[in-house]
Amino acid sequence: MSRIRRKQREMRSAIILVAPFMIIFAIFFLYPTIKVVMLSFTNAPLIGDGDWVGFDNYAKLLTDRLFRTSLWNNLYFVVLTVIPTTVIALLIALAVGQLRGRMQALVLTLFFLPYILPVSVVTLIWSWMLDFQFGILQPLIAAVAGRPVAVFRDPNWVMPMIALVTVWWTNGFNVLLFIAGLRNIPQDLYEAAALDGATPWQRFRRITWPLLWPVTTLVLTLQLILQLKLFDQVYLLSAGGPFNQSYVVLLQMYREAFQLNNGGYASAVAMVLFAIIVILSVLQFQLLKIRGRR
Amino acid sequence: MSISEKQQVVTETGVQLDAVTKAFGAIEIIRGVDIHIEKGEFAVFIGPSGCGKSTLLRMIAGLEDTTSGTIRIGQRDVTEEDPAKRGVAMVFQSYALYPHLTVFENMAFSLRLAREKKDVVQKKVHEAAAILRLTDQLQLKPSQLSGGQRQRVAIGRAIVRAPEVFLFDEPLSNLDAELRVQMRLELARLHKALGATMIYVTHDQVEAMTLADKIFVLQGGHVQQSGNPLDLYENPSNRFVAGFIGSPAMNFFEATVSGHSDAGITVRLTDQNDLELLLDVSARPSVGSGVTVGIRPEHLALTDGPGLRVAVDVAEELGGVSYQHGALEGGGAVVFQQDGIRHGMRGTVQTVTPQPGRIYLFASSGERLR
Repeated sequence: MSRIRRKQREMRSAIILVAPFMIIFAIFFLYPTIKVVMLSFTNAPLIGDGDWVGFDNYAKLLTDRLFRTSLWNNLYFVVLTVIPTTVIALLIALAVGQLRGRMQALVLTLFFLPYILPVSVVTLIWSWMLDFQFGILQPLIAAVAGRPVAVFRDPNWVMPMIALVTVWWTNGFNVLLFIAGLRNIPQDLYEAAALDGATPWQRFRRITWPLLWPVTTLVLTLQLILQLKLFDQVYLLSAGGPFNQSYVVLLQMYREAFQLNNGGYASAVAMVLFAIIVILSVLQFQLLKIRGRR
Repeated sequence: MSISEKQQVVTETGVQLDAVTKAFGAIEIIRGVDIHIEKGEFAVFIGPSGCGKSTLLRMIAGLEDTTSGTIRIGQRDVTEEDPAKRGVAMVFQSYALYPHLTVFENMAFSLRLAREKKDVVQKKVHEAAAILRLTDQLQLKPSQLSGGQRQRVAIGRAIVRAPEVFLFDEPLSNLDAELRVQMRLELARLHKALGATMIYVTHDQVEAMTLADKIFVLQGGHVQQSGNPLDLYENPSNRFVAGFIGSPAMNFFEATVSGHSDAGITVRLTDQNDLELLLDVSARPSVGSGVTVGIRPEHLALTDGPGLRVAVDVAEELGGVSYQHGALEGGGAVVFQQDGIRHGMRGTVQTVTPQPGRIYLFASSGERLR
């Protein structure tokens, strides 16, 4: 068989294998995405066409106070979750790494368990635990704050508490990533370091930390993207309240699209969030990579 | 090194193990090992996999706890000492180089942890790099080096610490054959240049025979025999050592004691009953008892007279020598060595006879009968 014929046959099987994904991707992702971009330049309602309004929607966003609050809350939430969850996951992974065999598997499972719960169950568990009247955590809160607090109705408590629930819920996955990273570090490096006179702290600082840096970069970036997309927990726990103190960008998009029937404007909100996520995550990933290479 | 020089060196202890044991739970890996290595000596632990040789080395390094017994390095009891404070450096089989650090940083690692001054670190690392011909590679990462270079970095990391004792855990097993020969020579040179005590674990007996001042043959957590390489070859104290040292391995034949005389004893081979061998030994196992006869392939020569009749089925021609593999009538496998190239033996029956005084006799327990 000639080389060209063989190439053609390879090409054909490649296309056949890739086609199912490409078709589904085009219908359910690519087409809606293009549609959203186009919608964001119109005044269309949720269903049906609208008129082309150029950058009006985006201009309006600049003066939208709720949007500014939402954006601010999003960033606040990122600060509250991304680095803390990474640090906590690393600490848990290091501790779990000390365990052996079945015990390690058991403890790892316990930490991973919340991750497999649906968000509605997670929020239900925590709204009961933090319930103003019956919540078992209220004595703890009373000890800290001096009085019981209805945390999801308190402007100061609401975001930190949603962050806490989120960290509890999603941390298991990060622990898993860190454990995998730790297992990739050969044991004899630690033995060599012990012979070289490294203390446990120096072993962490000079071997574990630099060799785990690629995983840390991955965790931080995944977390940044995930936490900027915050919606479900807020929707279920506080609905954006009180006084919009937990209003976030996706919640506003939901409101504009599905409650106020402003498809065009909601699309503009979505586009801005999309741009922010892309810019921040690329920026962060590049910065972290440079740090790691240093 | 001449004999008189050597005797001056041997007055000091390098490493000493007394009744050392190691158990993982109920499983005893090391079962009471006594080892004495002189200062400056090159000692080799050799044995089949699972014999405990690496565990023993790691116990000397302090990477494994010692269950009982004492380990001394120089004059100090280091049984409970931290690895870093034992004055040992170890070269790992995998090299264990820090992948995120350059060659320089790898070699400087221990010095920096010890907060040595910058110029001292520079000087020591460059000295070691010069010895190991790594000066041009100092700024590279381990992933950019060849296997042999990585190996040298691992040795360099050990050298900069100027340890009392160097420990090598199968350091050449990841290299290809050619490089292995080359590194073997370099290690021998290095030992001569540094004069430090070295303990080297291997399962490769060529490495053991060529490098060692003293070999410790380990099996089942015991030292089966120790001594200088040729001594082990000439005078194995049991069947295991006899079979382990020497390549190809010694031939063993089951036999029965058929008679005693002033000159020694006579035995008949189970696989070839018409042949009676006379052995010059002082032991007198009872007539009729079972023994094992051992003869090295290089001590069997072709003969026109009576001897072992070997049906040759495979010939390994190495150019300088050839190894003829075959079997006795009774089925027992035999290898014998021939000088030069010997075509045409395959498929024939050859008669070979052992050189006088080169037959070893072992009791059924495996102990050597002398």
